[in-house]
Amino acid sequence: MAHMEISASTSTAVATPSGPAKPVLRSLLGGLVTALPVLAIGLLILAFAPAYYTHLALAAFVNLIVVVGLQVFMGNGNIANLGHSAFVGIGAYGVAVLATPPAMKKLSIPDAPFGLADIALDPLTAALCALLAVGVVAAASGKVISRLSGVAATIVSLALLIIVHSVFLNWTDLFKGNQAFFGIPKVVGLPGIMAAAVVVIVLARLFKDSRWGLQLRASAQSPQAAAAVGVDAKRLRLVAWILSALICGLAGILYAYFAGTISPKLFYFQQIFMTLAMLILGGMATVTGAVTGVIVLSVGLEFIRSIESGVSIGGIQLPQLLGLSGVALGVVIVLSMAFRPSGICGRHELDEQLARFFRRAR
Amino acid sequence: MLSVEAVSKTFGGVQALREASLACAAGEILGLIGPNGAGKSTLVNAISGTLRPERGSITLDGRDLTGRGAEHCARAGVARTFQNIRLFKDLTVRQNVEVAYITCRATRAKQAAGIDIDALLAQYGLDDLADVPAGTLPYGSQRRLEIARALALGPSLLMLDEPAAGLNEGESEALAMAIEGIRRDVGCATIVIDHDLRFINRLCDRLCVMDQGEVIASGETLAVWRDPRVIEVYVGQAQPA
Repeated sequence: MAHMEISASTSTAVATPSGPAKPVLRSLLGGLVTALPVLAIGLLILAFAPAYYTHLALAAFVNLIVVVGLQVFMGNGNIANLGHSAFVGIGAYGVAVLATPPAMKKLSIPDAPFGLADIALDPLTAALCALLAVGVVAAASGKVISRLSGVAATIVSLALLIIVHSVFLNWTDLFKGNQAFFGIPKVVGLPGIMAAAVVVIVLARLFKDSRWGLQLRASAQSPQAAAAVGVDAKRLRLVAWILSALICGLAGILYAYFAGTISPKLFYFQQIFMTLAMLILGGMATVTGAVTGVIVLSVGLEFIRSIESGVSIGGIQLPQLLGLSGVALGVVIVLSMAFRPSGICGRHELDEQLARFFRRAR
Repeated sequence: MLSVEAVSKTFGGVQALREASLACAAGEILGLIGPNGAGKSTLVNAISGTLRPERGSITLDGRDLTGRGAEHCARAGVARTFQNIRLFKDLTVRQNVEVAYITCRATRAKQAAGIDIDALLAQYGLDDLADVPAGTLPYGSQRRLEIARALALGPSLLMLDEPAAGLNEGESEALAMAIEGIRRDVGCATIVIDHDLRFINRLCDRLCVMDQGEVIASGETLAVWRDPRVIEVYVGQAQPA
């Protein structure tokens, strides 16, 4: 209270339109700084890595987009989401149904409803339609989820995942059931996915620093205080949910366009836990955390997979350890929850950490 | 001008508010006092929209706020602090004020009236701590931040729920001067709940005394203390000799 007397003596808080210097520009730059390591890794792989690693990198970049999408809702709203793969799936199946050439569809889904077996949109139009579908499902489910908080919202997100998965499995005329849906035009390569990842990282950062993001983070920390300063938490949760879904949908679209073949199990629990572990490990409060988690766990899991099939170290043959990567995922979630619940990156974005570091160094 | 008319609220059979009425004009500092459980915080919660009263009406500057929800009331100009401090702990001090500042579109108009985030921080001695997470502030600074955040709404009504709790004498004197500064600079209606009667008597133009959910007396500060029902609540009934 040492400074309280100041307020009594100085007159009114006079308006000086100063504020921080161009906050949007700062977030934009911050987002780009965060995307820099991703871009560097991608370019190195493009330049030097053999084809096998290119394929791995593609999958990792898709995971990156999913995890950044997950961060938008989970990190700002502080509500666990177990349903985001539903949107990845809707994006992927959306373009599969719309963009696959009719010749292929005659083989795979000849009985598709609405005459979908006979038409094919160009990849870009198909992608936009798929995103629209994601948006519609997100708006409808978001209406329910944004009214809830905590565990209730999480359970509804899980229910959404199961509903969407069941539709993929059982509407065989349209989605081909649990068989692989093949023949999707392969129009996206590593450069395209890298560009998308950078855009998505910047977008997530802009959202986090926007007035919506700030208000949503405030309401996650104290719902009562946020309401008392006029924050409409429901509306903000809905906005974050839809943006998160669209980013995840984009990841699905890109995956379908580079892999050419998809199946429902790709967009189910395996992906949910993998991406969740990545976000928790990196730290869900920041976009930097999402990026860090994906990099660390992608590399780590690849290493574990190489041990899984049995290796010999110094002449000693290790046995096959099938399922080791699944165990490792679980262990990562448990250990980070127990010892570092805020993740590797904690509260600060990469650019903020760098700024602090240089300020201290000076 | 806040006008509360005959507001009632029950919690599981307990009558927390019994036809409570009060009024507070712009530029006035009203003390809301009474023993623990008298219904002071319940009344503040009803006015700020956190609770929906069963009967009665609440209007601010002629606009009906009865049962409209906390967000709506805040946007209509009702600002408050909490008895147990509720800050956005992981956000910085500046962001705490910013959230309140950006929420109300009406603040655009109030910007012209002289509300500014940096000036508010400076005024409450928080400008050096602007980039620190609010949760790491010492207790006194947290209390000041809650007031600065509430003022960033550009309120027509400010309600302070036990602002002097846990402050020493010098600090509560500084707080009283700050509240008088708010009256002078912002000119809003101010309601102060507190148990520190010296603080209340020094600060408030009028008092409103509650007991068991009822407003038992209200009027000018000195006059209220002569009311026999108030004396009974605070001192006890005069024993026949």
